[in-house]
Amino acid sequence: MTALLEVRDLHTQFNTLDGVVRAVDGVSFDLARGETLGIVGESGCGKSVTALSILRLIPAETGQIASGSIRFDGRELTGLDEEAMKRLRGHHISMIFQEPMTSLNPVLTVGTQIAENVVRHLGVPWRAGRERAFEMLSLVRIADARRRLDEYPHQLSGGMRQRVMIAMALSCDPQVLIADEPTTALDVTIQAQILDLMLELKEKTGTAIVLITHDLGVVAETTERVVVMYAGRKVEEAPVEALFEHPLHPYTVGLMRAIPRLDVEADIAGKRPRLQEIPGLVPILTRPIIGCAFAARCPLATERCRTEVPPFVDAGGGHTVACWEVTR
Amino acid sequence: MTAYIVRRLFATLPVMAVVAMFVFFLLRFAPGDPAAIIAGDDATAESIAAVRVKLGLDRPVVEQFGVWLWDLMRGDMGVSIFSNLPVTRLIAQRVEPTLALSLSTLFVAVALAIPIGVVAAWKARKLVDRLVMGFAVLGFAMPVFVLAYVLIYFFAVQWQLLPVQGYRPVGEGFWPFVECLILPSVALGVTYMALIARITRASMLEVLQQDYIRTANAKGLATDRVLLLHALKNAAVPIVTVIGIGIALLISGVVITETVFNIPGLGRLTVDAVLKRDYPIVQGLILVFAAAKVLVNLIIDISYAFLDPRIRY
Amino acid sequence: MATPATSFADDLAPPSRRFSLLRAIRRNPTIAFGGVLLLLLVIMAIFAPLIATHDPFRITPVNRLRPPSERWWFGTDQFGRDVFSRTVYGARVSLIVGLSVAAFSSLLGLALGLACGYFRRVDAIVMRVMDGLMAIPSILLAIALITLTRPGLGIVIVAIVIPEVPRIVRVVRAVVLSIRSQPYIESAIAGGTRNLKLLLRHVLPNTLAPLIVQSTYVCASAMLVEAGLSFLGAGVPPEVPSWGNIIAQGRTFFQIAPWTILIPGAFLAVTVLAVNLLGDGLRDRLDPRLARRL
Repeated sequence: MTALLEVRDLHTQFNTLDGVVRAVDGVSFDLARGETLGIVGESGCGKSVTALSILRLIPAETGQIASGSIRFDGRELTGLDEEAMKRLRGHHISMIFQEPMTSLNPVLTVGTQIAENVVRHLGVPWRAGRERAFEMLSLVRIADARRRLDEYPHQLSGGMRQRVMIAMALSCDPQVLIADEPTTALDVTIQAQILDLMLELKEKTGTAIVLITHDLGVVAETTERVVVMYAGRKVEEAPVEALFEHPLHPYTVGLMRAIPRLDVEADIAGKRPRLQEIPGLVPILTRPIIGCAFAARCPLATERCRTEVPPFVDAGGGHTVACWEVTR
Repeated sequence: MTAYIVRRLFATLPVMAVVAMFVFFLLRFAPGDPAAIIAGDDATAESIAAVRVKLGLDRPVVEQFGVWLWDLMRGDMGVSIFSNLPVTRLIAQRVEPTLALSLSTLFVAVALAIPIGVVAAWKARKLVDRLVMGFAVLGFAMPVFVLAYVLIYFFAVQWQLLPVQGYRPVGEGFWPFVECLILPSVALGVTYMALIARITRASMLEVLQQDYIRTANAKGLATDRVLLLHALKNAAVPIVTVIGIGIALLISGVVITETVFNIPGLGRLTVDAVLKRDYPIVQGLILVFAAAKVLVNLIIDISYAFLDPRIRY
Repeated sequence: MATPATSFADDLAPPSRRFSLLRAIRRNPTIAFGGVLLLLLVIMAIFAPLIATHDPFRITPVNRLRPPSERWWFGTDQFGRDVFSRTVYGARVSLIVGLSVAAFSSLLGLALGLACGYFRRVDAIVMRVMDGLMAIPSILLAIALITLTRPGLGIVIVAIVIPEVPRIVRVVRAVVLSIRSQPYIESAIAGGTRNLKLLLRHVLPNTLAPLIVQSTYVCASAMLVEAGLSFLGAGVPPEVPSWGNIIAQGRTFFQIAPWTILIPGAFLAVTVLAVNLLGDGLRDRLDPRLARRL
């Protein structure tokens, strides 16, 4: 069976005063129907740009998809005209963003913002759109949904706004939901509620989810498969259990060491081991990176790592990694 | 809401009081002898004294102020020095043409400038945008009377499409009424349009970078809905503010435009009064124009509450 | 020869205040364009007696309403006066009015604005007065003043300064208030710094940029108001060759001699354009926060 969404060798570039930034530099992955895929990496690694590229939401005056292929349901998206893209967005593929505070329009009611999506894509009358908005608000468990329809975003809490975003994104039963750091701006307790809600709705609707996050904890709890990105490139991909049990790429290993853990025993003084950071800095993306992007910060790096790009090697069970040293 | 409007209405009182005091004390404390200047260069001592009595300048200032203020509250703005007619009546006779000119200009300028500004922001840095910005910069530097004569030269003198000057009340037929208003409205409106188009573009540019516009685009909404509902409604407050600021520009322009096109409105009344140094009329007109401006700004203040739900009364 | 020398200095010199201004001009074509245009007009105004081809005051009824030609570049008016020479002299009036209104209203506005930003009681009174003044359209305010005095350049300048002052006061006051709420100023006040010292050290330099920008706009607006007043017959005395006067006197014969209006009108528009461009350019460089808003 072919994947629902296939991204192949995607390159997305931004034109800045300092030169061309290769924000996404050859990323490939698949998403199956109903699957939850995590894309993880630190800020600036290109995970959000990957998401925006799929929906072709990169503003033309700042950047563009330079090459690569994005196939959705067998259809190539990179060459699709803008009108066709618009029919796709919010209908078959929808997206929610990091900042529920600023991602909702402050001068339109919640009901209007959900209903307009339904009216636009399903061609129903406005009244039916409002009714759908009410259903969706109830579905995301907003109490007193009927009254909330006529409220403005500033009257809602952060968690409620993100629920509204989810309601809006799922209002047309999309096949893919791209969630870009959906819980980062929320309190920890609210984070868990929102993630649970997303998973629950996924079970109900069968929507596949691409969850973009820098938080490995979120990835562990919610996703089935994980893509690890670094400096615009994919460095490792694995089923979630495999990744956490045997992280292969030195960067992934470094990320895992930077997570605080409770299960590591405290020493006699009651102190836990210090969190380990990854030394060095993310490379500057305006210059083409020769060799492995992580080489400059990698404890295992050799001369070869600095000169040749490592190929992806299958470590078995769908676990692939791009690293000369680990696969040797 | 009603409480808010009443509160705002009361807030205009001190402003109007300052305006009233300004025109009152201007006459009393103007350098030289205003009575002599008003009476004219060839005035005799008697005629100067007569002007002084007419303006009440022969009485103590406190008494003058009391009488003047009391009259003003009753809607009595004094009488013209030359015609001896009540100022309120003179003003009332001339209101219609000025109202017709200002409202048509306001309407046309706003109706054209906002779409122009929206398109410029949407096509930022493209040719359309550069043309709009060029127009805005030029329009803002163009003196009303120069533009008026350029328009008259081409449309009335060379091509003879529209009347050179004059005014027809709407009672004499709709087309003659409109015909006479086209050139004055354009001449008066260009600066105003430039101002509104410019702020619309700037405000829209800022709004178009916001996260909620990205959300709207991610929903696949049609471009016109994103621009005209999601973006423009958020950009509206600064635009409406500038429409209010521009009213001052419009009023100053009305005085000049009416002179150029020979329109018998308040602007012409002002100029005639200045040339005859008929201070009571000038004073009355200032009060009326200032009140108009304050009123427009009041309406604009109230409109904020409708445009942005976050603004509480 | 000059170019390498400057670029050498570019590389070595520390980014001093004056230096960055120079570079700003080079990087910003708007400032350069507006500045050069304005410079040409200033030169024209200063050397008007040398540039003018005729005596701008000389009335020769035989030559009335002559169209532009080799002898009268911009034609003649209904009294046979040379429009070119009058236009050249007219630059003097516009520039004098523009510059002096900008200077006087800036100084007055700065003083009042600082006082308002500092003393709450002053603020309450002055801002009420400013609100009232702003409610009166500037041309009308000027007209009222002129009705009561004898015509002259001085009174025109005063009449235009008064309605422009509130604009400056508002800008300066806003800057003072925003700076006052900065933590470093609050800590300086807490540390016992005297008001006056604080004023000079921290606030004055910060008001300078918006003040310069605002005063260019005031200059442009003053030129327009002066021309408007003269056009209405309420400005400088009619015998003075100001652009507004030339246009006003051309009105009667506009249909047969449009040059008497269109040419000085074009000069006025270009001058105002130059000053506005200069203002826009300065705003973009000196006051980026404001630039983003407009």
